[in-house]
Amino acid sequence: MSDETITLYKHMKDLPSNRLLGTGTPMCAGCGGLLAIHQAYDILGEKTVFVNAAGCMTLLAVYPYTPFRGSWLYTSMASAPAGAQGVRDALDIQLARGRIKPEEDLQVVVLTGDGAAYGMGMSSTSSAIEHGLDFIYLCYDNEGYANTGQQSSPATPHGARTSTSTGPQGFGGHKKDLFAIWAAHRPAYVATVIATEPVDLARKIEKAKGLKGSRLIIALSPCPTGWDFDPRETVEIGRLAVKTGMWPLKEYENGKVTHTRVPPKRAPVEEYLEKQGRFAHLFHPRRNEAMLAEIQARVDDYWAGVEADHG
Amino acid sequence: MYRIRFHGRGGQGMKTASRILGSAFFQQGYEVQDAPRYGAERRGAPVFAYVRAARRTIQERGIILEPDLVIVADDSLVPMPAAGVLQGVTPRTVLLISSGETPETWRHRLNIAGPLLTLQAEAAAGAEQHFVGTALAGAAARLVGVITLLALEQAVQLELAGLGGETLSSNLDQALAAYELMAPQAGLVSEGEALAAAAYQRPDWVELPLDEADAAAAAIHAGATSVEVRTGLWRTLRPVIDYQRCNRCWWVCSEFCPDSAIRVNAEHFPEIDYDHCKGCLICVAQCPAHAISAIPESSEAQP
Ligand SMILES: Cc1ncc(C[n+]2csc(CCOP(=O)(O)OP(=O)(O)O)c2C)c(N)n1
Ligand code: SF4
Ligand code: SF4
Ligand code: SF4
Ligand SMILES: [Mg+2]
Repeated sequence: MSDETITLYKHMKDLPSNRLLGTGTPMCAGCGGLLAIHQAYDILGEKTVFVNAAGCMTLLAVYPYTPFRGSWLYTSMASAPAGAQGVRDALDIQLARGRIKPEEDLQVVVLTGDGAAYGMGMSSTSSAIEHGLDFIYLCYDNEGYANTGQQSSPATPHGARTSTSTGPQGFGGHKKDLFAIWAAHRPAYVATVIATEPVDLARKIEKAKGLKGSRLIIALSPCPTGWDFDPRETVEIGRLAVKTGMWPLKEYENGKVTHTRVPPKRAPVEEYLEKQGRFAHLFHPRRNEAMLAEIQARVDDYWAGVEADHG
Repeated sequence: MYRIRFHGRGGQGMKTASRILGSAFFQQGYEVQDAPRYGAERRGAPVFAYVRAARRTIQERGIILEPDLVIVADDSLVPMPAAGVLQGVTPRTVLLISSGETPETWRHRLNIAGPLLTLQAEAAAGAEQHFVGTALAGAAARLVGVITLLALEQAVQLELAGLGGETLSSNLDQALAAYELMAPQAGLVSEGEALAAAAYQRPDWVELPLDEADAAAAAIHAGATSVEVRTGLWRTLRPVIDYQRCNRCWWVCSEFCPDSAIRVNAEHFPEIDYDHCKGCLICVAQCPAHAISAIPESSEAQP
């Protein structure tokens, strides 16, 4: 992030210590998605309306309970951006007719998993950006269809075991580059975040909140249930995703991509992989050297490209 | 008819246990019903599953209110009213609790005269899926006394076939070991009477008046109503802050608690909300001053 950016959030101590998101949600203990949402919500503030596509987080608001301070709308998996368009239009009409005051306006935030964002919802997101819809899209990326039992999604990383890729090689595909796809639409803002870097996350949400137009954010969200690790490891695993370079933290604005955290010396990817049961078959009963080398090489290639770009 | 209830926490394999037991009954020629019961809650929340098995057509539906056998995978659920472990238990109900404590301790604690057994069920070691439920299904099969070792083995093979190799074989070992362990109590569980419609008890739910359709849309007219849900019940380990060690580090623990269960008080000290903390222990792992430790929820040493 450029130095001249004016931000309220420079250090951990600048982060809000009051919590907007209510307790008592049905998410798993240690849910990395919930962690990202609570951090984002603290920055977004109460004047937010969530449009939530089917996925784990739909269970946040199970009648008559909601952890949100304001409205929440449920849509089918493919159409959260279409739902957001409806809410935005309704707010604009109310504003134009003077039924709500400008200070009562709400930030429209789409909340979906990766299954919706990388797959089924891509077409409606593309249209929304094309129409210049004024909204924020927050994707919590747990790299699978977690709500239905962690089947593979277009965000599943190469080699991971999911309930639909149980063979010795795990998932055969490669994680889709959603950041690049979104950025190719040239929207107002695109960023990747992770809750284990809360200051970086806060600054990006703050920046998105201050802009108009389509602003899209992907939060890698370690999922103890789907990725098979002890819930106490959620934060550590998130940190390793950044340290190993598996999850680059970056933003796109005005046609330019900037990396906001460049790991000074990248740890080997296996430090990240070996902590998760979904990659256990790469280590036991014997190491799958070919697959480990392949995953490492992809990460190395990515960062070689970044260094070349930045000169 | 046999009526059997399994109680555990999401992730302990109660659904699988009920399927294995149901399958084993089926191999013996019984008509069987098995079903898990859980809400939207996830791993750690109390869940239960039940099995009915009879030599004739089963007309009963719904949850089992008068069980012949109750199996508890996690002993911290026993005293928890919301888990409903003791619901409908009569003097002839057999209780099997997975616990390190003796049956005498539990009988005394619960003031129960009926048959009560304990068994320290272990999750299958080295398995990709760690179910304590498999061992408990094996124990249940022996306690009813009408299931052969072969039928149990076939049921485990059938229900866990998808898991394959090591996972299947270690789970099978656990089930068969528990079956052997219960040999002295074989047949302790007897079949319950058929229920008469006249004895039907209304479930104790709250009737809500029916609103007009336009007013009855499922809208929630207040913020953060989820605080009414006590997710603290999910916890098996309790994080405890040592305030001598806490250096008020700008509340790493609060920032990283996914459940908003750590607040900062007026003196800038963190406070854990035990009504809602789910016991993930991220705070224990992340506190830079190592000021938070985990103690068993059932420990006497609780503050
Ligand atoms: C069109 C459609 N197909 C399938 C489903 C069933 N379904 C509900 S949630 C879900 C998984 C969603 O995955 P993701 O968006 O990654 O969210 P997560 O469950 O991981 O939170 C699926 C497949 C659905 N609701 N709608
Ligand atoms: S399955 Fe994963 S993403 Fe879904 S609630 Fe559980 S931890 Fe969170
Ligand atoms: S993380 Fe540890 S030191 Fe920091 S506020 Fe929490 S208990 Fe205190
Ligand atoms: S164990 Fe700690 S981090 Fe986890 S829910 Fe409880 S207070 Fe929050
Ligand atoms: Mg997902």
